[in-house]
Amino acid sequence: MIEARGLTKVYGDKTAVAGVNFTVEAGRVTGFLGPNGAGKSTTMRMIMGLDRPTSGSVTVNGSPLAGHAAPLRDVGALLDAKAVHTSRSAYNHLLAMAATHSIPKKRVHEVIEMTGLAEVAKKKVGGFSLGMGQRLGIAAALLGNPQTVILDEPVNGLDPEGVVWVRNLVKYLASEGRTVFLSSHLMSEMAVTADHLIVIGRGKIIADAPIQEIITGQGQGRTRVRTDQPDRLMQLLAGTGVSVEARERELLEVTGLDPRQIATAALENHVMIYELTPLQASLEEAYMELTKDEVEYHSLITTGAVPVEAGGN
Amino acid sequence: MSSTTVESTPSPRGAETPAQRSGDGSSSGPGPSFLRVLNSEFIKFRTLLSTLILLGSTVVVMVGFGALSAWGTGQFSQAAAQDPEAGARFAAQGGDLAVSVPTSGIAFAQLILGSLGVLLMSSEFTTGMARSTFAAVPKRTPAFAAKLVVVVLTSFVITAASTLVAGFVSVPILDNYGLGLDLGSSQSVKLLVVNSIYVAAVAAIGMALGTLIRNSAGGIMSLVGLFFVAPIAFQLIPGDFFVEARKYLPGNTVEPLTAVEHLPDTLEAWQAGLVLGAWVVVPVLLAGILLKKRDV
Repeated sequence: MIEARGLTKVYGDKTAVAGVNFTVEAGRVTGFLGPNGAGKSTTMRMIMGLDRPTSGSVTVNGSPLAGHAAPLRDVGALLDAKAVHTSRSAYNHLLAMAATHSIPKKRVHEVIEMTGLAEVAKKKVGGFSLGMGQRLGIAAALLGNPQTVILDEPVNGLDPEGVVWVRNLVKYLASEGRTVFLSSHLMSEMAVTADHLIVIGRGKIIADAPIQEIITGQGQGRTRVRTDQPDRLMQLLAGTGVSVEARERELLEVTGLDPRQIATAALENHVMIYELTPLQASLEEAYMELTKDEVEYHSLITTGAVPVEAGGN
Repeated sequence: MSSTTVESTPSPRGAETPAQRSGDGSSSGPGPSFLRVLNSEFIKFRTLLSTLILLGSTVVVMVGFGALSAWGTGQFSQAAAQDPEAGARFAAQGGDLAVSVPTSGIAFAQLILGSLGVLLMSSEFTTGMARSTFAAVPKRTPAFAAKLVVVVLTSFVITAASTLVAGFVSVPILDNYGLGLDLGSSQSVKLLVVNSIYVAAVAAIGMALGTLIRNSAGGIMSLVGLFFVAPIAFQLIPGDFFVEARKYLPGNTVEPLTAVEHLPDTLEAWQAGLVLGAWVVVPVLLAGILLKKRDV
């Protein structure tokens, strides 16, 4: 279990993490989602004791990492795919890491096999692709068979096979009762991997809830309706708390009524409908909705939002 | 877990499942004791090709300069035997030039091994390795101390060993010119030990600079500045202050420590020992404290 209490990190005049509180429970995959520069990596570095909090604290299983008798056996982390000396081979890197905790060579070979690095293990890390670097980072994180696993952007640079592999791995780790804390700025990845989501923006926690709750909590469910009498149907459905928008000539989007209510209204009034599709807000939409005010780096060019003359300067 | 997913699900478990452990974070298995961290630092040290190349270069340079110096000293003594003017100069050198032949490459050994000291720590930061190192040893100080032990011990051993080899190579060359070199004499042993300690001290200072500056080029430039530029600059600047200050530079402590008798404008041997000690202890302590405080 990871617990952050009033965790704050200030670099110069920039507050990277602003007094956040959260708990990462064991036995489930907790996603840490936020736009670039939101404070995800800083928070993770503070968990690992690499950055000192300006104020507040963060503990793993009750104590800061430096207070653990065998840190590598308690917490494994992938913070940066390139947290390795580029001139050393993957095998020797893991061997040196293992030596600090008397982890047997057998375990080094195990994690190399597990992460699919067997063929390149004797090669210098400097020549590794980003994906191979990620695999090595994951191997290092699992070296001590830790109860808590922290992965910062683990699927960055991985091929599709690797992405699926990480997805299965983290779910499996959580199913064994481990604490799994996973950061990403990819909503789609989180949607299929995480059970619980902590959303951070500009150093503040925006949401901390089960993933389903975050998706359904953002905006009401919408329903797409196709009918050959859109005007008639719009009149029928109109009411308080209901909004009906005409998207195309025969296509309406209804908010505030569930599909059954729409169908009932249509049936009773003999309006034919030929499509009735409940639309669930995607995590992507929920995320955009949550973070729209918290994004550190807004793209200047958004479709239609920027006048043409402002494009160049 | 259903059988369909088993194939793509890697098993991260070793002999035991963490679920079987108590949930209070007490870990099962040994932690980073100093000896384990020392072992880890030694593995890191010997698995870098660049480290091995620097160690090899030190041996080559030391032995090469030893041999060259033996040859030069031989030529000098021959000239002295024929030419009274050169003979006077030879006598002025104290007569026993042969004894310092094996350590004649020490200026280069200190540069190479000092740079190695810088690199071993600065590369941790430039490559990001430090994040792995200090995640495994979050108390940080044991990792710093272990690396320091590795740097100091290897520098001492390599300098002593290459001085010895340089001696073995020089003896027959000097013998050719009728000059004797007794590697077992107290002055020979003193030169070997003091110079090896000195080079180990330079490597420790280098490592402290690498830790403080965290940048390879900056660290090595500072080292070169301290050991090669400052002594020359201090000599060029007029004024009694710089004449006096020059004695306290770390590079000028070896001479008084190894001199047969006290030389003018140098410290006493015990003073030189203390000064060199301070040049090591102060930067190393500062580096150790700041390493613990700063973010990685």
